[in-house]
Amino acid sequence: MKVATVNAGADLADPASQAWSGVTAEAVALAPVPLAAQPTEYIREAWANRAYGKTAEARVAAATDGKKLYVRVEWADDAAPNAEFQDAVGAVLGDGPLDTLGSAASPVTLWYWENGRGALNLVSKGPGVVTKGDASAVGGTGANSGGKWAVVVSGPASASKGKLGVAVWNGSNEERAGLAAVSRNWLSLE
Amino acid sequence: MTASATRQIAWVYDLNKCIGCQTCSVACKVLWTREEGEKHEWWCSVNTMPGLGTPKGWEEMGGGIDPKTGKPRAGHQPTRGEFGGGFDYNYYEVFYGGTAGKAHLEPQAPREGRWAMNWDEDQGAGEWPNSYFFYMPRICNHCTNPVCLEACPTGALAKRDDGLVLRDEDVCMGDRFCMEACPYKKIYFNYERRVAQHCIGCFPRIEAGVAPACVRQCPGRAVFIGYIDEEGSAVNNLVKKWKIALPLHAEAGTGPNVFYVPPLSPHRLNDDFSIDYKTPRIPPEYLESLFGPEVHTALATLSSEMEKVRGGGTSEMLKTLIAYKWQELLGPFTVDPADIVPTV
Ligand code: SF4
Ligand code: SF4
Repeated sequence: MKVATVNAGADLADPASQAWSGVTAEAVALAPVPLAAQPTEYIREAWANRAYGKTAEARVAAATDGKKLYVRVEWADDAAPNAEFQDAVGAVLGDGPLDTLGSAASPVTLWYWENGRGALNLVSKGPGVVTKGDASAVGGTGANSGGKWAVVVSGPASASKGKLGVAVWNGSNEERAGLAAVSRNWLSLE
Repeated sequence: MTASATRQIAWVYDLNKCIGCQTCSVACKVLWTREEGEKHEWWCSVNTMPGLGTPKGWEEMGGGIDPKTGKPRAGHQPTRGEFGGGFDYNYYEVFYGGTAGKAHLEPQAPREGRWAMNWDEDQGAGEWPNSYFFYMPRICNHCTNPVCLEACPTGALAKRDDGLVLRDEDVCMGDRFCMEACPYKKIYFNYERRVAQHCIGCFPRIEAGVAPACVRQCPGRAVFIGYIDEEGSAVNNLVKKWKIALPLHAEAGTGPNVFYVPPLSPHRLNDDFSIDYKTPRIPPEYLESLFGPEVHTALATLSSEMEKVRGGGTSEMLKTLIAYKWQELLGPFTVDPADIVPTV
């Protein structure tokens, strides 16, 4: 996937900004993180007969202003919000297994954004097996309008040459941790 | 992450002595849950039983371990509304609003569906003149098989060597599987800080030799603490030797380390108000639903010890329960918190 280079000063952090209108977005197919890969027996038991990771597709675009890499993710979600769990999205970066959001041997980085919580910089060693890193290195802004989320997450531009995946959590279905929909294939950023 | 401890701190609440004064719950609140997002949190809660409890209807929320399969059972995550409470009150209006006689103190929350810790305090059960109730304090049970810990994907929970089950809030992501898995529903969610929180067993006090606030502050002398594995300790005697202190909902399979001396009750009155000496007012089957079939023997033991003393005999068991010297309740944690020199 082409990382668009945009003039410094363009407001890429805002998903509604005009700066995104010239950046081509790609449709990306998502699939649920496998139940068998869920990290605790409790989660595997409790979700054995419950569907999760229901978001089937997202539109993904990437741009840089030279300092930061911005990833814009758009997906349909018109479910009524849940008072307990929030919708969330993550840009997955690195080289680990994508379908399980990394592994102990090959962790991935998650630039994670949650509605109402803001952006977190996570190291993910499997579905929901995350540790919190320096949150000041990442950013995120999102808005839901017309039954569609548009969120931009950002982090250091050094990630612009690597691989990108996305993960989406549907809060109304109590999705959190490893209960996510993840892109089926890595996108190679160039 | 270790799920086994070499020692185990345990609590015993004597429900025959608990007067429902809420000193324990308030002592805990004042000490631990006065910060951002903690208004609705009562790590120690005291509820009138029978009742829907805290959170509302918690006994029906699942979790724990399935006795047939040995696997964790799906549970419901108690919602903010089911915990209730954390209300703001109209203090200003009542005290300074010039509304004397008109305004009264009231939670500033919609009347519909209001709930809070011990909201059904005065309800109890049974029909006059045989109505009944008792108080039951509850904290995290610092379980021997903590399903909360097993359920957590981030490894935020650990069982310490002294048996306390503690959470690292820096690691907790607020995923709340622990809240679903815990059959006692003693974990709260801090919606401001996005982390789950539960009773920490007053570990900084324990480390300084000071008993937890719920134990030390109890004016009813109703709470014992100590190491369950230490023979001769009050908790070991009450639980293991005399078998008069029982776990709550042991069928949930987590091996709770908070035990209860079950409540005796007055005899029932017949329709003509004569006394029915055979039937206690609290239905034994209700107590069995809480404390298991052992409750009948425990109550019989208590009654017979009381008979013995009434007849002029002596009873080690009753001496322990009475706790003539209140320091006996504290197990090895007898240090006076006033004697602790702050290190920070
Ligand atoms: S402080 Fe003691 S008597 Fe008062 S409610 Fe708590 S356990 Fe019961
Ligand atoms: S009572 Fe609940 S939170 Fe406490 S150790 Fe047991 S399972 Fe965990």
